[in-house]
Amino acid sequence: MNKLTCLLVIVLLAFTAGAQTSIPIEVEAGYRWTRVSGNELLYRTQIDERSGFMLRSLTFFTPQLRVDATDLGSGPASALRIETGKADVFKLRIGYRSFDTFSALPEFANPLFVQGITPGQHTFDRQRQMFDADIEFLPGRKIAPFIGYSQSRFDGPGTTTYTIGGDEFLLGQSLDESEREFRAGANFELGKFYGSITQGWRSLESDETLTLAQAASGGNNTGTVLGRAITGSAITRNGSFDVDTPFTTAYVTGEVSSRVRVTGSFIRFAADSDGVDDESAAGSFVSFGVGRFFNGYDDTISSRAKNTTWRGTARAEISLTDRIDLLTGFRTEHREISGDALIRSVFVDSTTFSGLDRRDLEELVVAESALDRDVDTIEAALNMRALGPFSVRVGFSQSQFDFGVRPDLSEIVVPGNQGSQHDRKVNTFDVSTAFRKSLFSAGIAYRRDDANEIVLRSDFTNRDRVRVRAGFHTPGNLLRIGLMAEDLQQENDALFDAEARQYTADLEVAPVTPVRLRAAYSRLRANSVVTIRRPETFVLDTSRHDEEGDALELGFALDFRPVTIDASASRFENTGTLPFDVDRYRTRIVYDFLTHAGIAAEWSRDNYAEDAPSGRFDADRYGLFVRYRP
Amino acid sequence: MPISRLTLGGVALLLFFAFAPAALAQECADCHEEQAKSFTTNPHAAQASCEVCHGDGAAHIEAGGDKTKIEVPRGFAGAENTCLGCHDRTTERRSHRMGAHANSAAVNCLSCHSIHKAEVAENLVALPQPQLCATCHGTQAASFRNKPHAHRMGTGGMGCTTCHDPHARPGRDNVRLTSAGESVCLGCHTDKRGPHVFQHGGTAVGEADCASCHEPHGSSNPNQLKRARVAQVCLECHSPITTATLGSQPPSFHNLNSPRYQNCTTCHVAIHGSNRSPQLLK
Repeated sequence: MNKLTCLLVIVLLAFTAGAQTSIPIEVEAGYRWTRVSGNELLYRTQIDERSGFMLRSLTFFTPQLRVDATDLGSGPASALRIETGKADVFKLRIGYRSFDTFSALPEFANPLFVQGITPGQHTFDRQRQMFDADIEFLPGRKIAPFIGYSQSRFDGPGTTTYTIGGDEFLLGQSLDESEREFRAGANFELGKFYGSITQGWRSLESDETLTLAQAASGGNNTGTVLGRAITGSAITRNGSFDVDTPFTTAYVTGEVSSRVRVTGSFIRFAADSDGVDDESAAGSFVSFGVGRFFNGYDDTISSRAKNTTWRGTARAEISLTDRIDLLTGFRTEHREISGDALIRSVFVDSTTFSGLDRRDLEELVVAESALDRDVDTIEAALNMRALGPFSVRVGFSQSQFDFGVRPDLSEIVVPGNQGSQHDRKVNTFDVSTAFRKSLFSAGIAYRRDDANEIVLRSDFTNRDRVRVRAGFHTPGNLLRIGLMAEDLQQENDALFDAEARQYTADLEVAPVTPVRLRAAYSRLRANSVVTIRRPETFVLDTSRHDEEGDALELGFALDFRPVTIDASASRFENTGTLPFDVDRYRTRIVYDFLTHAGIAAEWSRDNYAEDAPSGRFDADRYGLFVRYRP
Repeated sequence: MPISRLTLGGVALLLFFAFAPAALAQECADCHEEQAKSFTTNPHAAQASCEVCHGDGAAHIEAGGDKTKIEVPRGFAGAENTCLGCHDRTTERRSHRMGAHANSAAVNCLSCHSIHKAEVAENLVALPQPQLCATCHGTQAASFRNKPHAHRMGTGGMGCTTCHDPHARPGRDNVRLTSAGESVCLGCHTDKRGPHVFQHGGTAVGEADCASCHEPHGSSNPNQLKRARVAQVCLECHSPITTATLGSQPPSFHNLNSPRYQNCTTCHVAIHGSNRSPQLLK
């Protein structure tokens, strides 16, 4: 956020604070400082709040205009939305969102971690900015046309590794993706029928550049291959691809009678991508694929892929009585993904392992892939919305999945199991009931899925999920208690068994009006056991994942206006496969020194600690904000 | 899109409209001054007066404010007869009357919305997210609060409704789609959308798509993965025990005793799909 914007916000604050009449605006803006010790990259991966000016919140509202802004400025995420319009003439919505995305995990995909080298080699520091504008004309009329435009940009640097010539090399990466979408259509309401139809066009342009990182020419392997050191003096790749996606969406709802409502919908999109890549390298490499040493290579790759998906639904909502409804539906979806690539590789100055035939070697590969997927679902539910203080829902659905996958020319791994045909049928039964009477509320929901076969090893054949909740509160919320539990169990006949359980308990007490105390406890247990085959021996082994997390949160709020204080502390301990602890502290003090204006001070602290010294950080953030409220 | 231009535009619009005349409440304001004052900025003010929800107030006024002579919409019946009188629309995925949060004895419009005392002016929501949703969905909220790798809930406008539509139907329809009808994840993570010549089979055929490998509500594991180690995520599918499953066996040089092969994405960097490498190596 630039200085001019800061100045405008300050002028606005001064202007509104001095106004004679209350202005319908809430605004809070100020500065945040951060202090991080330990692994700052890990802090940025998880939290990424940084020092700088920020417009914490802004809300302006009149019947004609509404503006909402959140966290504009120093990030890591911000949003702005404007809505305005004139009754029966137009309705305009403008939105802007921005996200900073950062990742630099010490151990993740880092083969050098055991040598004490951090951070990982797969990192990125990028920003995504999204803009949307939609305008609807003649809202509420029989036919209300609309147009919309969206733009999204994702760009920034990163690092990655590249496996080539018998070693992997650290590369610097630059990504610049830009996407534009234009859409137009109309909402309509014609007698007992209403609906909407939209035609859109989306185009994506993606450019990526990779170059060998500094001091990375030796590769990650320090040893030799067949007595020869593998080195890369230069590696570059420039790749780009464009995707054009026209799409159509439509639905129509008909109120056939006062008790029957029927809805039909259709969605179709056809994404078509074209890609071109040029890649070159110089150094000393080896390839067992072509059985040669070589001193460089040039690759050119042209690719094309298509994803055509359509989906149709038909539903009926039938009010059997004023409080009991029958819902039925049918949904069918078809997806076709196909692609082909022409890969031309020239291995420069190659020699066989025997030392003969020193020459350039060209290899041409034409690769194709194809995937078809059809899913048909029928569903029915009985919804008893008010049986005294109870509501009950009983539902059943059946989904039939048909997959066809063509094997790739060059399979990722050992041939087999990559191309196949699958038919999977899933029956789902769910029942839930909820209760509310006076100050009590409760609910229980059970869902059972049964499948006849699995497609992926981690698919379930049986899955059970139970959710239970209960709540109590006194008038004025002087006391509020909430209890929740969830259990999810799934398994299949191919030696996969997983269970996740979560429990939470919340308590809020207001012993006297200006004081509110909070406490929460939550427990997480997740265990999974999957039989795997170890690649190096092909012997069966067990992949076991365990999480045992316990969290305790305590907090209080004091409301002695013009001073209010809100503070909390929490600790989350997780043992199991990846043990860690997180301590979090939050404090916010507000002092409204004028009727409509005040200041707010904040302090946040996060202490994260894994076992490894590189997996720790302590982060303090301090904020000072001025605010105006009507 | 430079942030400063947008911000400036918003501030300029705001100043322009700052003193625009707001709609006035009705004569009810004589007694209900506070409600009438706040109602001028209520979205209902543009098209509805007090009587639309509370009925004819003549008898109430004549009786000197007798509370029994005025309608106060509450609970299931109040929502059914008042709110849904205007807000009862059924679309391809949503149904206010019969959706996931159908108007019922246990949950009704006023469970989440507060017409006169909304803490969040947008859509007159009674409490900010995720506190509001946490009153019933506490386990999901606890995951966001406690786990270290999670979407930044509450920052930059991100809330439960960024991905979920509270008025949609139960099940998968409760999760939003992009404008073209794709998984909600791809609305932001556009770089994963493809289509790629070489799709990662799991994401293309799996019922849960992204959630086959990732935990959307927060994870204890890096990159919101379902498992702590990358090799676990991969090998749990890429270990055919029978011939009937999709996903083949890594060849034997993938020695899990070496750190290099414990992290499959060290080499298979294009794990979400590639146009260049059938093995997803680039």
